[in-house]
Amino acid sequence: MNALRRTTSIVAIELWLPLTLVIIWWVVSEYVNSLYFPPLSVIMQSFAENWLNPENAAANLVPSLQVIFFGYALAVIGGIVLGATLGLVRPLERAVRPVVEAMRAVPGVALLPLFIVLFGIDQQMRILLVAYGATWPVLLNTLDGVRGVEPTLLDMSRAFRVGRARRLFGVILKSAGPQIFAGARIALAVTLIIMVVSETVGASGGVGYFLMTAKSEFRIASMWSAMVALGILGYLLNIIFRIAERYILRWHRLQQARLERTS
Amino acid sequence: MTNASVVTQRSVRMVQFRAGRIVWPLIQVGVVLLAGGIWWLASGFFPAGALPPPGVVLARLGELMLTGEFWIAVAITVGTFALALICSILIGVPLGLWIGSSRFWTESTRLLFDFLRTIPPIALLPLLLLVLGADFQMVLVLSIAGAVWPILIQSVYAARQGEALLAEMAASFRIPKAWYIRHIFVPGAMPFVMTGVRLGTTIALLLTIAGELLGAAPGVGHEIAAAQAWYDTPRMYAYVLVSAGLGLAVNGGFWSLQRYLLRWHPSVREEGRR
Repeated sequence: MNALRRTTSIVAIELWLPLTLVIIWWVVSEYVNSLYFPPLSVIMQSFAENWLNPENAAANLVPSLQVIFFGYALAVIGGIVLGATLGLVRPLERAVRPVVEAMRAVPGVALLPLFIVLFGIDQQMRILLVAYGATWPVLLNTLDGVRGVEPTLLDMSRAFRVGRARRLFGVILKSAGPQIFAGARIALAVTLIIMVVSETVGASGGVGYFLMTAKSEFRIASMWSAMVALGILGYLLNIIFRIAERYILRWHRLQQARLERTS
Repeated sequence: MTNASVVTQRSVRMVQFRAGRIVWPLIQVGVVLLAGGIWWLASGFFPAGALPPPGVVLARLGELMLTGEFWIAVAITVGTFALALICSILIGVPLGLWIGSSRFWTESTRLLFDFLRTIPPIALLPLLLLVLGADFQMVLVLSIAGAVWPILIQSVYAARQGEALLAEMAASFRIPKAWYIRHIFVPGAMPFVMTGVRLGTTIALLLTIAGELLGAAPGVGHEIAAAQAWYDTPRMYAYVLVSAGLGLAVNGGFWSLQRYLLRWHPSVREEGRR
């Protein structure tokens, strides 16, 4: 009973502000007659039509999800492989440092015209652009994480003659895990930005395309509905990310809890 | 171990250290040249004009650097970025620290911030374009809308993670509030805030360039898009190099600032010793 009351009070305290803001938005937008800020009820109608109706939702969402999924997967895998390589082979890291610094300093979006020229305007180009831009946060965090592995852990695994593959996956990458996830979280935000930007050029579907055509055709409510859809998409992706993180890093959480209890 | 062997060992290490200071930069320059060579070789494989050789691009960059419009574009981008970052810090840090020091407001804003920060800021671009037009104000608001979240959220953490022991000690020694804030609260919060500022810096630059590129607002981003529209690829690559240079300068500037502000912090002290 007590636990139930505590849960409801936490839910109440977390919800009152967002709900109040939505209600204020709802009421104010009904009465303010602005071209650019349509009533929330109208936005919601347009949202239901464009993003909940299966037919339209497929055309608007599937290309974007493709770009997000493949681009992000490439970025995470590539970032971990390259980051771990550079983190383990120190002389190599030192030799290529200026090139890596220069390459990661290019803002991913600035490369959009370049990728169009090199790879043409299609899904493949978008996936590659997302992969390029989102690799860097993963790569740099993996590099730092691999380097920051407790030396005692490495000594111990050597003393116990732990095999190479197991040392890499079970010791080095595992203890770099929390930092790799921190990089992957930044990479997710970068992925969404680059996805939208890349879809504004020469696409025939996708959230970015929908957003920019709605804007240029002055369908303001549709434009707002795409903004709401992007917000929800970002939030859902973050929730999936958090579940994956909790699952993969559960050893870390348990360890932390143990440390807190003993100290 | 005799004294002499310790001395020789140390001098051997010194020699290695000195040699490293000369050899490593040479190797690094070699790798940079190698990358340029790969670029040069690759330029032959792509259709004419798609990937001009590095020499052509650098020559073009040199030409551009003599024109006024180049420096105006760079100044607008750098100015917008810097202003966006400063505004994000001025909004995010005080607001975050204030929210973080109250349990009620931390819990009330948790869900709201969780939702708002996951919205890709670029989603605001069309609305901002309609309301503010294709100008630097639009880019400025866009960059702030993206960069303020990491700074705000890290500041909330910063205020919450202050060590309870230190606060208790300050209370029992009756340390004045101003002294507590200056010498305990701010230094304790600083590492967290700096993490947020570092993330915000990257996002602000990315969004400044993205806003200029898509919104046709003046600046380096727009120059890249315009050069592509004119099929002037050397010019486009030259401006991409400029954006890389901006990124490098921003990263470098950030690290030296962090080293200065956090010079007392173990992570920086360790680094200095190495």
